[in-house]
Amino acid sequence: MVRVTRGLGLLGYSVPARPWLVVAWKEIVEALRDRRTITTTILMPMVLMPIAMVLPVFMISPRAAPPRVVVVPWESPPGLIEELASAGDIRVEVAPPPENVTRLVLDEGADLVVEIPAGFTENLSAGGTGEVRIYYDPYSMRAVGAIVVVRGALASYEERIVEERLREKNLTMQYIDPVEEAEYQITRTGRAVSPGALIGAAVLPMMVALIAMTGAGTFALDMIAGERERKTIEALLTSPASRGEILAGKYLAMLLLSTISGVSTLISAVVGLYVMGTMILPSPGEVAGQLANQTSASVVASLLPEGVDPWTLLMGVGAGVVIAGLTGNAIITMTSSFAKSFKEAQQYVGGAVMVLILPMIAVPYAPRSWAPALRVVPIGSIAMMMKDLLLEPTNPAAWGLSAVSSLAYLAIFLAVSAKLFGRESVIMG
Amino acid sequence: MEAAVEVRGLTRYFGELLAVDHVWFDVPRGSVFGFLGPNGAGKTTTLRMIYGVLRPDDGDAVVLGRSVRREPREVRRLLGVMPEDAGIYPRLTAEENLIYFGKLRGMEEGELRERVRDLLSRLGLEEKRHVLGDRLSRGMKVKLSFARAILHEPPVLLLDEPTAGVDVMSAREIRSMIRKYAEGGRTVVISTHNMWEVERLCDGVAVINRGKIVFSGEIGELQRLTGEREFEEVFVRLVRQEVIET
Repeated sequence: MVRVTRGLGLLGYSVPARPWLVVAWKEIVEALRDRRTITTTILMPMVLMPIAMVLPVFMISPRAAPPRVVVVPWESPPGLIEELASAGDIRVEVAPPPENVTRLVLDEGADLVVEIPAGFTENLSAGGTGEVRIYYDPYSMRAVGAIVVVRGALASYEERIVEERLREKNLTMQYIDPVEEAEYQITRTGRAVSPGALIGAAVLPMMVALIAMTGAGTFALDMIAGERERKTIEALLTSPASRGEILAGKYLAMLLLSTISGVSTLISAVVGLYVMGTMILPSPGEVAGQLANQTSASVVASLLPEGVDPWTLLMGVGAGVVIAGLTGNAIITMTSSFAKSFKEAQQYVGGAVMVLILPMIAVPYAPRSWAPALRVVPIGSIAMMMKDLLLEPTNPAAWGLSAVSSLAYLAIFLAVSAKLFGRESVIMG
Repeated sequence: MEAAVEVRGLTRYFGELLAVDHVWFDVPRGSVFGFLGPNGAGKTTTLRMIYGVLRPDDGDAVVLGRSVRREPREVRRLLGVMPEDAGIYPRLTAEENLIYFGKLRGMEEGELRERVRDLLSRLGLEEKRHVLGDRLSRGMKVKLSFARAILHEPPVLLLDEPTAGVDVMSAREIRSMIRKYAEGGRTVVISTHNMWEVERLCDGVAVINRGKIVFSGEIGELQRLTGEREFEEVFVRLVRQEVIET
């Protein structure tokens, strides 16, 4: 890493001689050479997050590896096996009835067995009910996914039979489906919320708040507690740079590193979501067919809240990431100021994170009546700002309050951390 | 001639412990001045108050006419400091450690490059310029810490145990550099336990014991007052309070 970053190190000669810039340069060079921290803070989340998101879906998604469904017909009702075979997302085999059906599941690798017993067709013809038996291992997620597909196929088959029966009596489906539902969205803006915005409103606030709490994480701990532990702080304080300038430089470096960490987390989450989507959603070809008459701009726009410019939203998310990163770093700086060593600092920070993470978790699920309170709670306000931007972008009272309280908390945390950094007991241990 | 460093009643408590008790002494300009005392006497605390890492509870110090209490930033500009712990950044190379502090002191690129090259060469660290701090030996770290202290050619140098834990050859090099540095009319204050070093380098000394100055003046005067030639004996008698009217 030294060879790779040597140029960055020698860049120090050219850095403008402003203490906060010089301190930031040095912190960034050191951070980039800390292989362990780079690996755990940036590289591992980038690689592990998509894997963690995709792997469970891969294992159960029918698109990735269709479950094996064995149809065991004692008789062949017209159209039923064809309905099952054409369901998609399952691999259907027809096998002669065995002595022991359960062996197919437990020993012969069938994810699901669909048995059509004798008398099925006769019962249907007599106007009665035909039973289809489904055998599966309840611990198998693939089987659970396959059941959904099989039930869908059986429901289609049943609907055809019901339509036929009703037609014989000169009735329509409405006869057995007398109640209709019509849904209407009520929002403060008077505009509907797109599905993408709803999903984003659940995921994005937590992600941004998570960035706040992890942010530059280890880098931030190292910049304060680590400097004290390594006894480099005293030499630093003998320079003409004021403590405020030193701290400003450290914060600048932390902000840059937490932004890199946050962006890499977001990118890997998007990659994970995209891969998950290809496993769950209709294939790209099918989507393209549906969207054949739309431009890509209108597709993007359909995922956004109505009334907001995508660039405005992007800037809002960017601001959220910056505020979240700085806030997390300030909290870490504050709590690690009381520690005499890096390890002790990690323990204090862990405790602080446990407390502050609660409003973050509450935001996506909280009822509307909680929103005003969450807008003025530390970290919760940042998560609410993201949620408000997505769901109520034309309501500046909502996201404006969240933004103001987020900035106010940031200012408080920065001021307290600066005060603590100046204390002799904190500096000298 | 006005002293380079005037210590006027510096006092410092740590809780109820009076670590430094109204110390007074002057460091003549252009001299190499020893600041001696047994372990825990208050040497490092006194130095830390002069270079601004600790705030005095009472008293003041003046460095080339600048008050430590009222103009701490100006004082730090005038000082070069080598603290007790070398404080070399482990993930910066030897060269980058010097770049960092040179830039913090506002040195421009050309001047800094020249100075870094010169110091690394004179201290025998040229081959180690691209070596990370945590790969340097203790002696190299101490030499690098000394280079950092004199990087900006300060008129006053404060060195806390500059040769502690260093091999003989490195210690000789550092002492030689201290002597040469002072020959340029600059002032050097050395806190040390090494009496041999004091005898060979220092023009004057201040001795501190249990937070109080027990002597301040020229070495010759101290030897005359105690009747001892061996400085170690002089020091021991002082610290045992077998004193000496000054």
